[in-house]
Amino acid sequence: MSIGSMILRRSVQLPLVLGAVFLVTFSLMWLVPGNPMESEGRRPPPEIAALFERSYAMEDPVSFGMQYLDRASGVAWLAGRHDRPFDLGPSLRHADWTVNEIIAAGLPVSMALGALAMVFALAIGLGAGIVAGLRPGSLGDAVGQGVSVIGISLPGFVVGSVLSAIFCAWLQWFPVATWDGWSSAVLPALALSLPFAAAIARLVRYGMLEDMRSDHVRTAMAKGRSRTGAAVHHALKNALLPVLSYLGPATAAAMTGSFVVEKVFAVPGIGRHFVEGVLGKDVTLVMGIVLCYSSLLVLLNLAVDLLYRVVDPRIEAG
Amino acid sequence: MVLAAIAALGALWLSRTDPQPRADIRFVSAEVFTLDPQRMSWQQDLRVARALYEPLLTRDAVTGLPKAGLAQSWVCSDDGRTWTFSLRPNAAWSDGSAVSANDVRYAWMRALLPDLATDFAGIQLRIEGAEAFLRWRAQALAAHAESPGDPHDLWSRTRDAFDRLVAVRSPDDHTLVVTLVQPVPYWLDLMTFPTTSPVQERQAERFRRIDPASGAVRWETAWTKPGALVTNGPYQLEAWHYKRSMRMVASPTWWNHASMRNRSIELVPIADPGTAVLAFGTGSVDWICDVAVDWRSDMADQRRAWDARVEPTARRLEVDGLEGDDLIAALPAPGPGERRDLVVIPAFGTEFWQFNCRPTLPDGSANPFAIAGVRRAFARCVDRAAIVDRVTRLGEPTTTTLVPRGAIPGYESPAGLSMDLERARAELSAAGWSDRNGDGVPEDARGTPFPSVTLLYSVSVDRYKFIALALRDMWRTALGVDVQLVGKDTKFFKDDLKQGKFMIARGNWYGDYADPLTFLELLETGNGNNDRGYSNPAYDALLHEAASTRDPAQRLAILSHAEALLMDHDLPVLPLCQLTAVYMVDPASLAGVSHQPMLEDEFWRMHQRTEAERAALSTLGREAAR
Repeated sequence: MSIGSMILRRSVQLPLVLGAVFLVTFSLMWLVPGNPMESEGRRPPPEIAALFERSYAMEDPVSFGMQYLDRASGVAWLAGRHDRPFDLGPSLRHADWTVNEIIAAGLPVSMALGALAMVFALAIGLGAGIVAGLRPGSLGDAVGQGVSVIGISLPGFVVGSVLSAIFCAWLQWFPVATWDGWSSAVLPALALSLPFAAAIARLVRYGMLEDMRSDHVRTAMAKGRSRTGAAVHHALKNALLPVLSYLGPATAAAMTGSFVVEKVFAVPGIGRHFVEGVLGKDVTLVMGIVLCYSSLLVLLNLAVDLLYRVVDPRIEAG
Repeated sequence: MVLAAIAALGALWLSRTDPQPRADIRFVSAEVFTLDPQRMSWQQDLRVARALYEPLLTRDAVTGLPKAGLAQSWVCSDDGRTWTFSLRPNAAWSDGSAVSANDVRYAWMRALLPDLATDFAGIQLRIEGAEAFLRWRAQALAAHAESPGDPHDLWSRTRDAFDRLVAVRSPDDHTLVVTLVQPVPYWLDLMTFPTTSPVQERQAERFRRIDPASGAVRWETAWTKPGALVTNGPYQLEAWHYKRSMRMVASPTWWNHASMRNRSIELVPIADPGTAVLAFGTGSVDWICDVAVDWRSDMADQRRAWDARVEPTARRLEVDGLEGDDLIAALPAPGPGERRDLVVIPAFGTEFWQFNCRPTLPDGSANPFAIAGVRRAFARCVDRAAIVDRVTRLGEPTTTTLVPRGAIPGYESPAGLSMDLERARAELSAAGWSDRNGDGVPEDARGTPFPSVTLLYSVSVDRYKFIALALRDMWRTALGVDVQLVGKDTKFFKDDLKQGKFMIARGNWYGDYADPLTFLELLETGNGNNDRGYSNPAYDALLHEAASTRDPAQRLAILSHAEALLMDHDLPVLPLCQLTAVYMVDPASLAGVSHQPMLEDEFWRMHQRTEAERAALSTLGREAAR
């Protein structure tokens, strides 16, 4: 299949995937008890609450969902029923913000954090993986393995709290609980990167170990290539393939925000907005973020598949 | 990797904000829901509203009493129903234009729109004709939804209806005349509430939209953003980034601008309690409005340790005339294991557990707590002191009444039921439950054992679970009844409460105005917040009688009688302790945070102490210590 038809097929898939995701999430959100308009103890009389729900067209989930999808997808705009495309509506809980505003403010933050985390994850993961793959059983390997086990198993709020206690409170190298510029992004990105770095390190290590024993690498060494040269020029290239396929979903996961890391470091990212939206039954906000997230995921997967073909032309995109 | 680095750079650039010098005062609070004063309901919104807006009256952060705000004077008619407020001639909006009485009328009309479903419409509903207007609008909207007409015509008819029906008039730009349905003795207190703040009609009308299908009005979200929002309080909005920061700067157009002690304040919505404390420790923030870390009880212990050590010095300084934050700042600095930056403030609110008073439970079985005697028996078993000393460990003032004792001048609180295990068992057997077969569990006359009691609480914080565990032990030991804990997520908890699906549940209530009624109306038959399903015609009659009593002292006496009925006999709620605000603020650095139970702050009075000021105060303290 050509690259063109692959892109075409994916762009047909996109609305179907989004539709399915919307349906499932929307039904789940609707079934959750609670009322987004609920406030601190005081309740408006029931007839007023009913009137308010009607003004948001909330009394009927089907028509609410259809109207939402109509405006969110841009169909209403194309048909001239609405004045702007991709209108995700007002947040039900944070009445002073539209969902579009919230995503526009939160997404770049989460993406910056996620992208930086992926830089760290690749640097740490590749470094540790190559060292370990070159010298299995060495001290470097043991340290790398140990760190990656910790990276995978330690929850983000522990790593985050420890990092900020050491570097913000004690050493005062980084500001605490702010978000402006590089200095405030380093620690949360590091905390976010650790599980990804650990996974990458393990993928690279096993890939290299496997490949170092394969015929083509042994042939290269027999022809006089040094062990390191053979590893870098032959084994590493193959070992990177699984990393590449891991990078798609990992980047999407990192970029769409981590609730825990964002909360611990007070980062105003989309991950926090999403979880807090679910907890507050903010239907419009949650649906908006879900739609945005699924589109990103589909697009990133497409990007990885394209990259794959560049790295290994034998692979037929499916 | 290069790609990711480029992406990171780009996204960082996208997410930047304009760099600003540090605000004079940075405080941590939950994110504000809305800056539309009429729609506010949450504590954090109301706190910010007091910085941005100025209602007719404001509450003094030191004395806790209402004082002149937007209105400079007022008179009340002899029948107590008509209030005439004179607005300050120099009251101005942040855009420089004058605040007119009409802006107040416009805001109050908004409060009464059923479209907005404001939580505190009850304040304006005390005005003559307000209820008729609300009903008129609700019916008009319903009719519009049936057969949609011209929505703009509906809106202008609504404006006319307000002018025609509601007794709020403005004979001139600086006079507001309000006629109430019946005298409201605490009307001036209500006038300090931020939801009564004026809204500049000219600016608000620019952002008003009408939904053609429902006919309902809505204000565009752009209205409450910097540059668009026009306010009349000490500050104006400079920047607001969602869940990131809200910055307010001193408004040069505020009439009392010259008295302001700081130039800018910033709300930092740090969600993680531990991170907030860390930020306070590094000096990045000056005040945490709600310290929610697990170890705050330990910090409270450290504060008590310091209090105990400096107490003799404090007495001497008090004689010298020092008080409040200055006194704290003058005292010797905390040593190891001590601290002075945690403040536990008893608030105008009560924490309680509530009994379901309906005759049957949702599963159809008979409800043992429908009998007042059973409720009294359970209340008599509770050792409140043990709970605040050993379970919550914040030393909250315990209480046996719903209305905080001593909070309202001239109001006499009833005694309430204190712990008495003998009487508890007597009450229970008088209600028909006693241990008839010697197994330690009370049975009724037919030999059926007392049903298993469930305690419903929310699991948002550990506090309620720990209190529930303590109550379970007290009731098991004293009465021999089986008690089960049911912890639920806040949403499920609130749903269960509303539907009466509980036997005993946790609860709390903050008073909105300085009058017992703000608590007592909770137990009125049919009140929207009466989760207990409690209904006693005698109680309702007392509230009704109080409402029609003109003499303030006599009225308070009737209300006191009503509360005695609740707290000494019927006990639909079991009061535990006063609610508290746990602040983190160092009075030696930041002065002027209010310690009044109403927790209503005047930001403009707060200031960071200078080195010289701190040195002078600690010299005073050293002299007193000698």
